Formats: sequence, structure tokens, C-alpha cells
Amino acid sequence: MFRWLKGDPRGAAPGKTDPAHARHQDELFDEEFQRRLEYLAIVSRRLYAGRTRAERRSKKTGSGIEFADHRQYAPGDDFRYLDWNVYQRHGRLLLRLFEEEEDLSVYVLIDCSRSMGIGNPPKLDYAKRIGAALSYIALANLDRVSVLSFDDGMSERLSPTRGKNRIFKIFRFLTPLEAEGQTSLADAMRTFVAQNKRRGVAILISDLYDPEGFEDGINQLRYAKFEPYVLQVFDPAEVRPPLHGDVRILDNETGEARDVTITARVLEKYAAAHGAYRKRIEDFCGEKQVPYVSLETTVPFDEAVLHILRRGMMVA
Amino acid sequence: MELPGLSMAQVLTTPAVAGGAVVVLYLLKLRRRTVTVPFVKLWEQILAEKQTTRLFSQLKRLLSLLVALAIVAGLAFALGDPRYEGATASGRTLVALIDSSASMQATDTESGGRMAAARERVNGLIEGLGPADRLLIAQMDATTTPVSPLSSDPRVLRDALAGVRAEDVAADLGAGLRFALDVLRGQPDPEVVVISDGRIDAPRAIADRITARGVRLSYAVVGEASRNVAITAFSVRRYPLDKSQTEVLVELYNPTDEDEAIELTLLGDGAPLDVQTVTAAAGERTRRFFRNISGADQTLEARISLADGTQDALPVDDRAYARLPERRRARVLAVTPGNLYVSAALLLDEYLDVTEISPAQYAGTDVAGRFDVVVFDSFVPTTPPDAHAIYLYPLVEEGRTEPFAVTGLNPSPFFDRLERHHPLLAFTALRDVNVSESLAIELQEGDRVVAGDDRTPLVVTGSRNGHRMVALTFDLRKSDLPLRVAWPLLLLNSIDYFVAEDAAYVSSYRTGETWHVPVPAGQTSATIVDPDGVERQVPVVEGRAVYAGTRAGFYSVQTGEHEERFAANLGPGEEARIEPVAQLDVEGLIAEEPSVGRAGVRRELWIYLVFFALAILVVEWFTYHRRWTV
Repeated sequence: MFRWLKGDPRGAAPGKTDPAHARHQDELFDEEFQRRLEYLAIVSRRLYAGRTRAERRSKKTGSGIEFADHRQYAPGDDFRYLDWNVYQRHGRLLLRLFEEEEDLSVYVLIDCSRSMGIGNPPKLDYAKRIGAALSYIALANLDRVSVLSFDDGMSERLSPTRGKNRIFKIFRFLTPLEAEGQTSLADAMRTFVAQNKRRGVAILISDLYDPEGFEDGINQLRYAKFEPYVLQVFDPAEVRPPLHGDVRILDNETGEARDVTITARVLEKYAAAHGAYRKRIEDFCGEKQVPYVSLETTVPFDEAVLHILRRGMMVA
Repeated sequence: MELPGLSMAQVLTTPAVAGGAVVVLYLLKLRRRTVTVPFVKLWEQILAEKQTTRLFSQLKRLLSLLVALAIVAGLAFALGDPRYEGATASGRTLVALIDSSASMQATDTESGGRMAAARERVNGLIEGLGPADRLLIAQMDATTTPVSPLSSDPRVLRDALAGVRAEDVAADLGAGLRFALDVLRGQPDPEVVVISDGRIDAPRAIADRITARGVRLSYAVVGEASRNVAITAFSVRRYPLDKSQTEVLVELYNPTDEDEAIELTLLGDGAPLDVQTVTAAAGERTRRFFRNISGADQTLEARISLADGTQDALPVDDRAYARLPERRRARVLAVTPGNLYVSAALLLDEYLDVTEISPAQYAGTDVAGRFDVVVFDSFVPTTPPDAHAIYLYPLVEEGRTEPFAVTGLNPSPFFDRLERHHPLLAFTALRDVNVSESLAIELQEGDRVVAGDDRTPLVVTGSRNGHRMVALTFDLRKSDLPLRVAWPLLLLNSIDYFVAEDAAYVSSYRTGETWHVPVPAGQTSATIVDPDGVERQVPVVEGRAVYAGTRAGFYSVQTGEHEERFAANLGPGEEARIEPVAQLDVEGLIAEEPSVGRAGVRRELWIYLVFFALAILVVEWFTYHRRWTV
């Protein structure tokens, strides 16, 4: 389906032509994956039929044609937007505000900390596929897509791009990403909002295993007027690890070690603690009206994406 | 506490080494497997709950190590076989000789018989063993057989005791005491305990040895009643001149102090032949003959019972067994010019198939395989026949040497020298037989003179042409032998001698003796099946199976496909007298009551230590899997 695009010289990324990368890309974003992306793009149009491209309303008020609000006149304002009818009735000078129509910026933020390398398949691979799928849907809707990776800071960045044919550029960006470094969501998001002045949708794909807490990171996005979407990725073995007996558990990011004797009862307690952690995230996001989806890596990515779409994400 | 198993140093070294190994293993166990997790903070919540019990947890781990070390120490200590102080000090050494003679089969005790009572007495000895006492149990019958080692383990001794049983033989106390003295040589505080009814022959030349070695002789008597009657002899023979009939001798014995009416039943081949009621006075041995018994072909059995219908105390001596000699038809060819004495004698045995021909008819007659015996009367063939032969007056021409070279005549010979035990002369009286003259013959190598005088042989036996022969060197008609009973007996004995009938006939063997049972030639081993059906492989020596039987009854001896039955009766001895003897007197040495040991507690502590270790192991396993100690 995308074969004709593969020969597009505009899609080629310099310095990313070695065979190993190509092979991995083939595995991660193979033809089957691409075929499903196309399917997802079609389905997304059906789900949101009637909405025209590039017609998402931005939060900005400006020179659009659809009335948004009034505000007090201030010296220097354009007289053309004074509402004379209101002045006639109430004797007050109010300025009519219109919503400004502009392209939506979609930022796909992928956690590349070391904890994302755990799982079968690794959570990072799953996150890459989800990120790629959402990017494609956004590109298909003529949105401006930027993909970024982070750990304790922002690592790699793919500049904002538009058009479906740019998906391969995204593939080539995602493929070499590796899980390394510690998670510091707050620092990373702080850097992100500082670097990206153009507001938009920020899709945060992470396991949210941040020793400092996930709340600050999400709040950074909220405070900077981004629309955060939180996709938490986890492996089922993290909920009920296949462990038994005396073990020393080692945090693969911080290197902290703890001795523990695993019994069925301990496993139950751990599963409860994990569930409570996820509930905490869900509660926080619900409270802050931040869309949140918990994704298990055993669920096929297309099902996961459909689930995300049905939850109303990607539609501003 | 003493350690006879391992020395104290070894006992201490073993747990030290093993304990070290346990500690190493324990430390290895404490080395935990490292598992990488994505977010350790989730675990900290659980670990925080456990932090409060950390000290207790460490204590539990230490307790677990201590438990493991306790197991090792318990097992190591068990290896030392610890015993209470004094348990290994010298104690008594006992040999229990259990009388297993036939009289011990008497059923006169409340416990079910004398042997059961004897076992109870030995059980009492076992229970009374002191901490350092040891006991050996031996079965004493015709021989003495140890059934247990010298042991202080009650279980071993009781298991051995269960295997003791009374046999149909008399006990040999002398052999038993000699065995006991050998066992007790050099042992501390030796004692021989004879458990018996006292009806055993007093041994000789043993009391001094018992006294000299300081061995204590004690005696535990068993048995109560004394009423018993017995068959003490049972003999059977066929009539020599009428083998279809049998004569039976039965000797009955009443050892009690009162007269007894005894019902005596004779069975032939299992079927009753005759029943008599015999009254035997107190202490009397009475004999009864059953004459002209017919109807029995293979076996005879005598049974007695008290005429009043009651049962005596010892059933084993109420039966006696005998096998009848096998009867075979012999094919006899009589070559005679006509001799009434020969013809008449051959007619006496109905089991002879006699063919009579004249010397002239003999020429060319093939006797091989057709006749068992050829009787040549005043005629000698040119070549010896291919059969056994009886030569009557074998006068041959000069120059001939078969069967004998005749050198002349001897006038008036006498039957001076007789081999009384030779089967040819059985039941015969020849000493006063008159003979007018006999042939002077030259004996050949291997010939044997059975009767004759200094000058001349009159009855000769030997071998010719590979067959046996008997020769009478005188003319019957020139003697008065045909007028005597001895003549037909001599002729029929000769035929029986050839066909081997009766040659090895024994009507019954006696238990307690070594039997030599004839078997077919060429065998090296045989199988003897006893009355209980137990098969035993026995050696064959000089054509006879050798076996020491201890059970009365009918046996069979098997060699290949050949099977022969024989009988055995109760052996010699005073087994019929079953009245218990209260005192055992061995050449003036009066046996005492068995000594009593200090009843000790169970001495083998290692078992408890092993159980202790196992119990700890089980607790450890249980608590580990319940996660109480981890």
C-alpha cells in the first residue's frame, strides 16, 4: 500500500540506510503494520465523519469567521471588530472575538527510559508502533506531527511534518530509538514546553514509572496550554511477575536493590499495589480532564489504537 | 552414656564437618537470585510492611539454620550408637536350647501345645533380658541348629523364635550342650537354658565340662499331661513263597500308669484292612501280628487311637508307615530233561512265567530280551546265554571252562560255610542238608562261594557273559535238598536276586537317622519330597540318595522320570513317654531355674535420634513451605 511511497526521495532520511536498521524497521513497521495503518486511517475518518480537514478549532482567537466571545475594547484594537449593536443597546464598547482556524500540532512524546526496554515485546517497541499509528492518523488528517523521545530530558526530535507520505520519515526516526536513561517526566516535559511554543496535542506514551511522580510532568503540559493525552504502556508480567522464592529485585533505572521473598501472598500484594498505582494515574487524569488509556502490550496495536480513538482522543 | 558405634572424636568430627557443609549450603541459600524490575518503588510498599518484622525474620532464619544443624547433630550422634551407661557392660550370655523332639508336639498345654509353651518361655527370657544380656536361640532335635545370632534385639530373637518347630525325632541333649558350650566359650556370665519336657536322653561326659567352664545350666519344663499310647515298631514283609500276601508286625507301647484299650487299624493303600482292639497294660509293650494280609500292593499304614474315643496327647506316634516291596513278574526259561523238583519249585511263585524246554530244544533259542532267567538243569550250553542263569549240576566235558572247568568229583560235601546274610540264603536252613557228591570246579575271577565246605563250593554266584549266574555244584537228585523247604526258597531267592526284587528293600526308615534310599543307577542327585510336600535336592552316593529325614510319613524320591515311594517312622527314643520331667539331671548336675535379668529400657537410642532428626526435618519442611521460617 505504501510501496509507491518507499521510492520517494523526499521520504529518505540521511544517515539511516544501514542494513541492520532497515531490517529492524522491516520487523517493527512491516507491511502488515503498514496495511493496518491504512485501515486505521480509514476507520478514523468514518468515526469522525463530517469534520473537515484542518478545521479544528484552536484555542486562539483571531481572524476567523466564527464568533467566539466579547471582550472590553482597549486602545489600539481594530475598530472593525467593535460590536456596534451592543454599544447601541448597552452603551459599552465590546470587541467581537473570532476563533482562529489553524493546523493542529500533534506531538507524540515517547518515553525511552530504560524501564521501557522491559517486557516481551519490549514496551518501547509497542510504544513506537502506537506512536507511529497515531502519527499516521494525524498525518492523514493533514495535521502537523512532531515525534519526540525523552527520558530524563528531551532526547531526539523529529521536526513537525505534514502529509501521509511523511510516515516513513517517522518510521526512520522511531526505529533507532533505544531504551536507556532514567525517567524524569517533569524535567523532560519542562524542556518540551520550553522548546515548543506552538501549542497542540501532546500524546505522552510512557510507562509512567517515574520515581519523582508522574503528576508534575503532566501538569507541565497542562500549564503550558498543551492538550495532553496519556497512554500508559505496561507488560502483563509487570502486574504478576513470574517470580518465586528468595530474590533480590533490582531497579533497572535507578539500580536500587531490595531483598524479598516472593510468595503467592506477596505477589497478590504486589498486583494490588500495581493496580493502585494505575488507579492513581487514572484518578489524576480524570480529575484534570486529561484523557488516559492504559495499554497492555499483549493487545494488538491496531485494537489499542481503535480503543484510543473510541475514547475520543485525536479529536480536538 | 557410652558410644559403642563411633568414638567420641568421630562423633564430634562428623557434625563439625557436616555442620560446616550445612552452613555453606545455608549461605548459598541466602545468596539471592537477582531479578531486574522496571519500578522498584512498587515493591517498597510491600517491603515496608515486612520491615517491621525484619528482626524477627532474621531470627527465624537463624532458627532455620539451627534446626538444620540440630538435624546434622542428631544424625551424627545416632551414628555413635549411644547407649546408657552400663548398657555395654558385661551382662549374661544365654543360649536357649529348645527341645524340638517329637514329644514336644504333645498338645497337652493350655497354650496349644508344648512347643507353644516353649516359645512362651523363651519370650519370657527375651523380655527379661537386661541391658547387656544377649541371647542365642537354637533348635535342638537330632542335631542342634541355631536359629538366631547372639543378639539382644528382641525383634530379631522373636522372628527367629517363630521359625522353631518340633520334628519327628528324638532330641540329642549332648549335642545341644556341646553346641552351647562352644557358643559360650569366653562369653561373660554364660548360661544354657534347656526348654524341654525333660524326655530326652541324658548325655554323657558333658557335666564336667559345663562345671569347669562355669556355665550355668538351667531348665524350663513344659508340658502337663501324660496320657499317651504309641506305635513303637511297624514291620512288613511279603511271604517269600506267596508274595501276594503280607505279614505285618506292630508293637504298641503304653507308657502310662494305667491299662489302656487301644484300637489298632491297619490300612493297605489307604483302605482299611483290619481293625483290632488291643489292651496294653501299664508300661507294657505289646506286639501284634497281622498274618496273610492281602489287598495291599504298595503301602501299609497302622493307626491307633484310644478305644474310649478320647485323644491322647501326642498324635505323632499314633501312626506308622511302611512301603511294600514291588512285585514283578519274572520270565523264566527252564532247560531240563525233566525234573519234578525244579518244575514244582517254579510253580510255587505265581509271579513267575515259566517256559520249560528240553536241552535239545534249547539249541538256537534266542533268550535275549525274552527271558529274565534261564535255569539249566544238568545241562550246560556251549555259550553262556544272554540272560541271568542258574546252573544246576553244571557238568561239562574236559576242556570246557564255561561256566566252570570241572576237575573231578568231591564225595560227601557239607554246607559248612554259609553266608547267612547273602540274599540267596534268606530264610533257608541248609546246614544239615546231605549231598552225596559235588563237582570239583575251578572258580573264575569274581566268583563268590555262598555255601560249601573247605574242599568244594556248593553254591556259587558270579558273572558270565555280562549276566549274573548262580550255580549249584551238586545233583539235586543225589541230595535231600529237594525234600526240604530250603530248596524252593533257594531257587526263588536266586530268581529274586537276578531281578533285583527285594535287594534293597527297606519297609521303612526311621527319623533322626541318615537314610540311604536306592535310586536307579547313573544318578548323581535326586529330589526327595517329604510328607509335607517340601522338595529337597539331595546327593546320590553309591547309587543311594542320602538324606536325614525328620518327619514321619510317606516320602517319594524322584530321579528324572523315575519316582519311588518310601516310608519313614518315628525314630528311636523314649518319645512316647511324654510325662514332663520336673528336674533335669545331667550326670548329677541338676539344672536350676533360668536366671532373671534386669528388665532394661530400650537401649538403642540411635533410633530415637533418627526419629528426632526426621521429626525436625518434617517440621522444617512444613514451616518452610508455609513460609514461617523464611
